[in-house]
Amino acid sequence: MTDLLILVPELVLVAVALALILVARHVRRAQIAAASVVVAAAAAALSLWFFPLDNPRTGFGGTIAGDGYARFFNILFAANLALAALFSVRHLEEEHVPPAEYCALLLLASTGMMLAASAVDLLILYLGLELMIVCSYILVGITRDRLISNEAALKYFLLGSFASAVLLYGIGLVYGVTGATDFAAIARGLTERNLARDPLLLVGVALVAGGLAFKIAAVPFHAWAPDVYQGASAPVAAFLAAGSKAAGIAAVVRISSTAFAPERAILSDILVALAALSLVVGSLLAIAQSNMKRLLAYSSIAHAGYALLGLISGTAEGASATMTYAFVYAFMTLGAFGVVVALGQRGEELEGYRGLAYTSPVTAALMFLFLLSLTGIPPTAGFAAKFAVILSAVRGGYVVLAVLAVICSVVSAFFYLRVAVLMYMTEPEGSAPGRFPVAVSAALAVAAVVTIAGGVFPDALTAWTVPP
Amino acid sequence: MTTYPPLTVITFLPLAGAAVVFLFNERLARWIALATTLLTLAASVPLYLRFDRTSSALQFVESVPWIPSWNVVYGMGVDGISLPFIFLSVVIGVLCVGVSWAAVRVLRREFYSTLLVAETAMIGLFAATNFFLFYVFWELMVVPMFLLVGVWGGTGRVAAAFKFLLFTLAGSLLMLVGLMVLLHASGTLDFQGLAQMRPRLSLSLQAWLFVAFSAGFAVKVPMFPVHTWLPDAHTEAPTAGSVILAGILLKMGGYGLLRIALPILPDATRLFLTPMLALSALAIVYGAYVTLAQTDVKRLIAYSSISHMGFVTLGIFTLNRSGLEGAILQMVNHGIITGALFLCVGMIYERTHTRNIEDYGGLFKVAPVYSSFFAIFCLAAAGVPGLNSFVGEFLITSGAFRTRPWLGAAAIWGVALGATYIFWLYYRVVLRDVNPGLRGLRLDINVREVATLAPLAALALVLGLYPESVLGFLRESVGQLLAAVSASAAVAVKL
Repeated sequence: MTDLLILVPELVLVAVALALILVARHVRRAQIAAASVVVAAAAAALSLWFFPLDNPRTGFGGTIAGDGYARFFNILFAANLALAALFSVRHLEEEHVPPAEYCALLLLASTGMMLAASAVDLLILYLGLELMIVCSYILVGITRDRLISNEAALKYFLLGSFASAVLLYGIGLVYGVTGATDFAAIARGLTERNLARDPLLLVGVALVAGGLAFKIAAVPFHAWAPDVYQGASAPVAAFLAAGSKAAGIAAVVRISSTAFAPERAILSDILVALAALSLVVGSLLAIAQSNMKRLLAYSSIAHAGYALLGLISGTAEGASATMTYAFVYAFMTLGAFGVVVALGQRGEELEGYRGLAYTSPVTAALMFLFLLSLTGIPPTAGFAAKFAVILSAVRGGYVVLAVLAVICSVVSAFFYLRVAVLMYMTEPEGSAPGRFPVAVSAALAVAAVVTIAGGVFPDALTAWTVPP
Repeated sequence: MTTYPPLTVITFLPLAGAAVVFLFNERLARWIALATTLLTLAASVPLYLRFDRTSSALQFVESVPWIPSWNVVYGMGVDGISLPFIFLSVVIGVLCVGVSWAAVRVLRREFYSTLLVAETAMIGLFAATNFFLFYVFWELMVVPMFLLVGVWGGTGRVAAAFKFLLFTLAGSLLMLVGLMVLLHASGTLDFQGLAQMRPRLSLSLQAWLFVAFSAGFAVKVPMFPVHTWLPDAHTEAPTAGSVILAGILLKMGGYGLLRIALPILPDATRLFLTPMLALSALAIVYGAYVTLAQTDVKRLIAYSSISHMGFVTLGIFTLNRSGLEGAILQMVNHGIITGALFLCVGMIYERTHTRNIEDYGGLFKVAPVYSSFFAIFCLAAAGVPGLNSFVGEFLITSGAFRTRPWLGAAAIWGVALGATYIFWLYYRVVLRDVNPGLRGLRLDINVREVATLAPLAALALVLGLYPESVLGFLRESVGQLLAAVSASAAVAVKL
């Protein structure tokens, strides 16, 4: 019975999701569905205060942990869920998407993310990630009459299933070598039985890393992101960009610092390769984009690289830098996608941002803020987070990688600020964009506040970013 | 009086003003900006009055824990080196509002807000006592400049803004990696703590750090091979942007060298002394020759900045008292003179809409007041005794002769070329016969513009006749800086 306490946030989300499915036929208004999601997210986040941090514990036969680490990510996923629901209000009405089903899928996907962050067992981890991604497939394709959505959903499904299979195969190999799926038992087996150099295990580690790299859209497992972000509606893209990445990062951080901690050397090599490739490919390919969501997709690939920088050195400080990065990235990318949502159809293409500062100065200023944060210019949260991850790479002795990361930042300044150039330095074309719902404004305000506060007080999250 | 933290107040007053601008309508924006900058100027007055010139210690120190996990405090304080720059920043802040009064017509709220954010970044940079805070203000400065050039600039503004942005970011992000390595190696980012650290960092580490930091500083100064962004940014920027660029932004690089490269990396400074001196001499002479060839007034002044800033870096790397004091004085002088020259060019451009030198001529007949002011600033720029630049150039040149005579020769050559291009400019613009294209235009400046130029003319005269008004502040701090650099020589000898 006490085991259930660990799962309270997940249970809250599932309960609301099931309730929404039951009454789906009667929920016609998007506002009501979105409001219930926000309430559920708030309840899930608040419920975390009921179990004390100083007493981390595991339940369900040692497969699910209720620790500070899980709590940090649970709060992140709850916030992501609430903001995504707020962004969705207009989209649901305009695209005639059934609101209750859509919101139930958001809730279930978030449940999966939370489960992935709490899992201390490879199979539970797999379950959580699968729950997340299966719901995501449907969310991406939920506008059934839009061809581009269907295409995106199909691509996501095919590549996603392949990545899941890779992950599962890796889990199988690790189990085969160590005889355990439990993180602690794997680590124990590796050190006690001296299996660290077992070739089968190395293949297993690489496959698990590959499967998780797909979730965070790290190169070379990134191919899905641009198409899926472009095809999905903007709120769904925002939900995936922030949530799927954070869930993947949550899993990678926990696995690399517990189960595969004895495999530090090989894991570092894999992470260096993933990070360097993501940084370079993401930054360079983003330059050529003319679609805002594709640009944000390549940016999200590059940011996967920055986030992984924190893990390379294998220190606790680096792990918490990566956690901070996931948190900050979620809010700034939600903010940027939020502006895309607010501008409607016009926000999809870069050309739609022409002269935005002249017609809607506040929206333009918000977008500028999020872009500065994504570039990593102080005093925004993006700078503080980038500083922390690059610092941990420097401390680990990876100075060349740090230089590569800052060079990629210069490249990224070019494409992020090109949007600022369009907004501020070109003449407006056509009419001003229409007004957008209060829900979207509220969510944008939250994202903006976190983006600024995180930059002015870089240490604000330190008490929360407890590595596993 | 001592209960309020003066540095924090004057740093963040403009930022508060930048937010207040958005609360009112567009017509009030310039008034709010003027009030804010005047208030900031007034609030900075106690700093000069109460500053103890006989001490080299940091004064008006504030220190609040900020980011414990990186051992970073929010630290503010000034010494004799930073105080003149703070004075320059608050003065130029006011003048920028004055010169933009009628010139800026689009997105006025955004313009004045951007200007005020830039002022916060300038003051904060000179008041910061640790590297992290310094870096935050350093980067904060890039964004307003990018916007000032790109939004309110001339026809080639977007390209110029991007060029500026990419150059400065490339430099400053390398500096960021250096900063992290420094933090990792020493555990602190406090300027004083770093300068007094014993044992010092190893020479090879210092050398790498010197390269990384110089990349950031050299772009801003700008030193010879990385100067190419400057003419474009200067030419395309609106007048206020050019004034900030010339007046403050270029000084950030020199200030960084004084505050970081010399005291924290003294051994590396000595290691790289000859190449840095050679680059400085090259900038002086090369910059002067390129200036001679210009046909665009703004471009001409921009290239002259490269030459003049060459004097500054030359003075810094002489590593003797005369050179260092001259370099700091000359940075202030250059801020005043070049700022004023850009103001002059901007004022006449608003009336003629041309920057081509050939379109001018005979201004003394149609704009006598303007011509008089322009004359003062041109004489000052040429280094005529009695005006401010003479003292700075004299100190630097004598410092240069003392270290390496060939440097002194290069500096003298640069002075001669400087007089040539500036007097030739004055001849072509103000003397000669009246250009037929200027007939029928009301060219002379109004009272507001006189009020904008007069303070700078007065400063040029005061600093020329009584340089002690700045040098008096510097003496102790420069002495400490020299001690830090030469102490390293003693250590190096022992090793």
